[in-house]
Amino acid sequence: MITEEKLKILTESAKYDVSCSSSGSGRKNAGGMGNGYVAGCCHSFTPDGRCVSLLKILLSNDCIYNCKYCPNRLDADVPRATATPEEICELTIDFYKRNYIEGLFLSSAVYKNPDYTMERLLLVVKKLRTEYRFHGYIHLKGIPRADEKLTEEAARYVDRMSYNIELPSEQSLKLLAPQKSKESLLLPMKKLTEQSEAFREEKKKGLVKGYFLPAGQTTQMIVGASPERDGQILRLTQALYRKNGLKRVYYSSYVPVVKDKLLPEVGAGQLREHRLYQADWLLRFYGFSVEEIVDEGEDLAMELDPKCAWALRNMHLFPVEINRAPLEVLLRVPGIGAKNAYKIMEARKYTKLSFEDLTKMRVALKRAKHFITCNGKFFGAKNEYAVRGLLAQAETQESAEQLDLFGMLSTPQNALIALHGQL
Amino acid sequence: MVYIFDGTKSGFLTAFLVAYADPEAVLASEKIQLPLGQTPVFVATDEARAEKAKNRLLAFDRDCMRDLDTLLRSGMENREQIALGYFRVLAREKRPVSKRLAEREVFEAVECMKKVGHEIHKFHGFIRFMETASGALYAPFAPDNDICDLLLPHFRARLPQFPFVLHDIKRKKAAVYDGQNSFVAPLERAEILLSANETGWQALWKRYYRAVNIPSRERLKQMKGYMPVRYWKFLPETQTSAEDL
Repeated sequence: MITEEKLKILTESAKYDVSCSSSGSGRKNAGGMGNGYVAGCCHSFTPDGRCVSLLKILLSNDCIYNCKYCPNRLDADVPRATATPEEICELTIDFYKRNYIEGLFLSSAVYKNPDYTMERLLLVVKKLRTEYRFHGYIHLKGIPRADEKLTEEAARYVDRMSYNIELPSEQSLKLLAPQKSKESLLLPMKKLTEQSEAFREEKKKGLVKGYFLPAGQTTQMIVGASPERDGQILRLTQALYRKNGLKRVYYSSYVPVVKDKLLPEVGAGQLREHRLYQADWLLRFYGFSVEEIVDEGEDLAMELDPKCAWALRNMHLFPVEINRAPLEVLLRVPGIGAKNAYKIMEARKYTKLSFEDLTKMRVALKRAKHFITCNGKFFGAKNEYAVRGLLAQAETQESAEQLDLFGMLSTPQNALIALHGQL
Repeated sequence: MVYIFDGTKSGFLTAFLVAYADPEAVLASEKIQLPLGQTPVFVATDEARAEKAKNRLLAFDRDCMRDLDTLLRSGMENREQIALGYFRVLAREKRPVSKRLAEREVFEAVECMKKVGHEIHKFHGFIRFMETASGALYAPFAPDNDICDLLLPHFRARLPQFPFVLHDIKRKKAAVYDGQNSFVAPLERAEILLSANETGWQALWKRYYRAVNIPSRERLKQMKGYMPVRYWKFLPETQTSAEDL
């Protein structure tokens, strides 16, 4: 059994990785323990509001790299620990059996060299799948610059792999993570995507069995440690979704844990991270392209969510009639989420929906009412300026209710009321 | 008029036939607070009539008995009344109605069914097994809705080699998998002898839970929204013991 002290060190080093998802894999139980859960499953929630789905742990935090932003960098004076493969396997099995976790999220500092580290990671996941006959979810972090063969073999045992892009431009990488490069991160991602597609083709034809990253790949970027604008970041995101077929891009707002003259002294703030995720959702589920959301050299607006901001720039497209607008148009109405759009599509087959009907169906109309008509009737504000003011106000009220969510004072929002809320 | 039945599906279907013509009907399966001067009608379950009603309703919507099953599992006090409203609409329309969300009765029923479904999903995550000395797994819990048997397929599929017991403390019943078959049985209290390592693994889990949290970003409201406090009683990680402090 791993000691509590070692577990503590190796978990605390891993916890800033944002990814927690356990979805996307339908791996079957083939004797032994565990299976995949396509929808994903949260097993607990910590006081910071995050879900615990996977056992998030490093194999080792003893690093030869010296990335400026990283608490485990070579220069840092922190307690070091390295787990044995058996310790990780046992921990996974015994936590899983008790239903504490949905699987393992294994990562590691680069110790000795990239190949050695990747070999050790591969050893753990191979052991888990073959000796321990574990079929639960495994997310493995890829080690940049490790031998391609090791990576490909690992992909046959795990459900998801990820390489963290960390910084959204080559320039920032050079400055803050000199031992990594854009190539060393993007190349293995691209390779895995190709191999994954080839594997699926062969499987369809019945030539191969088993799995090859059934839950795909994800990545993570730190926001606010370097000067890239949201427009640039989201362009990279869009390319990763469209060209590399990534399942998710995570954003982590920079927290100044480490002091360095190359790093900003203040964090990026949760609101910026929140806005990036909203924009990310628009790209993935709402049919938007980044060009509609934000210019390359610009940041997202803080006072409004990106969908509202887009709608305000395109008032000539509104209002739309709730009983006739096609799905892709409903999805673009501020305040109407994907679920509500589908609800409306179904319900309007049976009756002409009125404003009251929407209320009964608990479709939130605070924002939407300015952009829709129900049977030709309009319930929103008269002109664009009033709409802008009301939307900003709605946002402020919600932010005030969720102050703890953004962990910031309401002053910037108050300033905004002064600007926009002339009502 | 208030109609009381035994809470079973057949009971509901019998009562539904009796109450259908009464626009003021209130359906219930337990003693409810009656308005002054009201005397309830006790409807005795009639399997033959219930079977007939079932077949007619199935002709309108072949999924409606699954819906009825879900609605009657709900922990909401007015579940029978919600089911009555829903089946009234079904009998009136004579075709599936679950998508007519602008209809109040339908919306209420769909929301009620969703709550049951959501709780099943939540307990796929929040069930906590303890390992007993015999190697069998035991999980006590207290769900809002009557769902312990609906959790069986999930845990059977992932832990096929472990006998386990899902013990609904509130309803004093348990869903049991003996390593081959599963069944439901009444269970008041269970005497559990834990395995030698159980407390050690629980301690490691609590240590992990504390280590993975980021204290500077406390968002308790969000945490409690996802993981309601009433579920905490059975989670080792939310129990603080003397040595944690």
